Amino acid sequence: MVFALSIKLLVANRGEIALRIIRTCRKLGITTALTCSDADQNSLPVRYADETIPLSGVMPSETYLNVDKIIDSAKESQCDGIHPGYGFLSEDASFAKACEENGLVFVGPSRQSIERLENKLTARETMQEAGIPIIPGSDGPLKGDDDAVEIASKIGFPVILKAAYGGGGRGMRIARTEEEIRRFYRLTRMEALSSFGKGEMYVEKQLASPRHIEIQGLAEKGGRVVILGERECSIQRRHQKLLEEAPSIGISDAMRSDLCEATKKGLIFSEYTNAGTVEFLVEKSGKFYFLEVNKRVQVEHLVTELTTGIDIIEEQLAIAFESHMNLSQNEVKVRGWAINCRINAEDPRKDFTPSPGQVIHYHAPAGPGIRVDSALYSGYTVPEYYDSLIVKLAAYGRSRKDSIRRMRGALNELEIIGIPTTIPLHQAIMTEEQFNAGDFDTTYLDHLEPKLYQTLARLEESAAALAAASRTVNMPLRKAQMRKSNWRHFAMHRQEW
Amino acid sequence: MRTYKVESREKTFAVTVEPKHRRHYRVRVKDEILECVCESSDDISTWTIRREGTRTHARAWSPSSNRVEISIGGLPFVFTVTPMRIEDIKAVQPVSAEGLGGIHAIMPGRITSILVGLGEEVLEGTPLIILEAMKMQNEIVSHKSGRVISVKVREGDTVKKGDLLVQIR
Repeated sequence: MVFALSIKLLVANRGEIALRIIRTCRKLGITTALTCSDADQNSLPVRYADETIPLSGVMPSETYLNVDKIIDSAKESQCDGIHPGYGFLSEDASFAKACEENGLVFVGPSRQSIERLENKLTARETMQEAGIPIIPGSDGPLKGDDDAVEIASKIGFPVILKAAYGGGGRGMRIARTEEEIRRFYRLTRMEALSSFGKGEMYVEKQLASPRHIEIQGLAEKGGRVVILGERECSIQRRHQKLLEEAPSIGISDAMRSDLCEATKKGLIFSEYTNAGTVEFLVEKSGKFYFLEVNKRVQVEHLVTELTTGIDIIEEQLAIAFESHMNLSQNEVKVRGWAINCRINAEDPRKDFTPSPGQVIHYHAPAGPGIRVDSALYSGYTVPEYYDSLIVKLAAYGRSRKDSIRRMRGALNELEIIGIPTTIPLHQAIMTEEQFNAGDFDTTYLDHLEPKLYQTLARLEESAAALAAASRTVNMPLRKAQMRKSNWRHFAMHRQEW
Repeated sequence: MRTYKVESREKTFAVTVEPKHRRHYRVRVKDEILECVCESSDDISTWTIRREGTRTHARAWSPSSNRVEISIGGLPFVFTVTPMRIEDIKAVQPVSAEGLGGIHAIMPGRITSILVGLGEEVLEGTPLIILEAMKMQNEIVSHKSGRVISVKVREGDTVKKGDLLVQIR
């Protein structure tokens, strides 16, 4: 793609997705500016961006979620548009509106579709109107916990309480009793208010053991929609996706075309533009329900890029700045199999407690079919204020089996030293029978505990063995000295920036 | 061949190490044999562990004479390693934290709300504090039943991992 005009883009995000966007911009010759909080001044995207605009403060509300500061940054740096990445302001209607009012191109959906799909609740209503089946639940926002209890008694327990503005798996909780509804209503509302700034809630029936399948679409003005296939996202912990695949082993060709049709219908009905994903819950019976629309580039977009060869960020920019995409449906060929493991700074031995801190050493795997999207480097300190995702490790292969084998190897090669990570969780999954057989749904993690426990115990044994072996080798250096030497190394690189 | 007592906070392992070649060791732990190959012993030693056909990379360093820190499979481990005769090894019971009444921050973050007051009776499992970290509201629950004798933090405070939050007796 060659842009007619020279463009300058503000990347209003952080971490791996900021880096991902900047990489495509470099490819296309687009100049980039990056907003960055006080906690992110030493981050890798800062080094990659052509220009950095500091946002004073560290908390999301005073930095990446602050509409005024972001808009001012774009104007100050004379950017033509803003790419919001995922999370933060990516799906915020008032932000998209502010961009429009200030003459900035918002790399995201059209104004009309943002209004129709403004939050999870309005999206539910719009999709119902478009004729797509929705999960039984509230008709409008909950008036309070009494309202939630009343609806739950009609549709039956368990139910799931959701923040209308929630996203990325945050702001939802399953309630099995009236008491839980009341308790979780308060907690989820608080979480929503602090993370998303809006506390509107609704309730839906919790389906027994569905698969979570989503369809990636690209849409341009005038109703042209191109479908890039499905992603299997059933492997989740507390509604946080852990691992994604493309394609899905769990759906038939007939189901696949039904879901693609529904997605197309939904995107056209809502006059959608840019990259968008429609999520569905699919029951064993083959019945499917609309879950939500993700109006942004998603964390797991890379598995679709691997199976189609399409640069989704590039298409986003083409749609936003030139109002049409670079491809047609018959150019889209899904080939092979891709799996993505989300490696988080969380301790699997301590119920996945966040574990921010300094990464003393980082080494990324490589080899055929391996893709690593990460902003880590040796010496980097993972800040405590933001999401715990630190590495996206993807493996592509000719078949699912091939992709799993490559992933096992890559997980063994990946080194993140200094902080606990969820690598062992993915190692457990990659060697677990049901996952390998493709026999799983959204309840998969509930059954993984024994296998995870075994993996962790084996890891501890190996560590103990190594501790003893290492005592027999000379190891005169102390940890403090090692840290210092690493920092000196890092400081040397920084001078070259 | 040498035998070591390798202790973590929760577990004790008896490990025998038998040098095979230069920097190549055959290690036995819990009836399993592992091959540990030392690739380099610079700042921090680099190892490859072979176990049942899988090769894993790991690092080791020693912060003090008998302490060894290991990083393997994306997790850090800390051990105390002492040479000894195998017949001397007895299981060491981990120290229980249950009897102590201090509730500590399990992660760094910000106190978004305090759910209990001074003098309040709480049961094991009662939510005490909401600690926000990495966008999540984490309920900090009481690990014992008793009375709240002190609340060490206020709403809006930023806490470090391990900071004392509430005391219960």
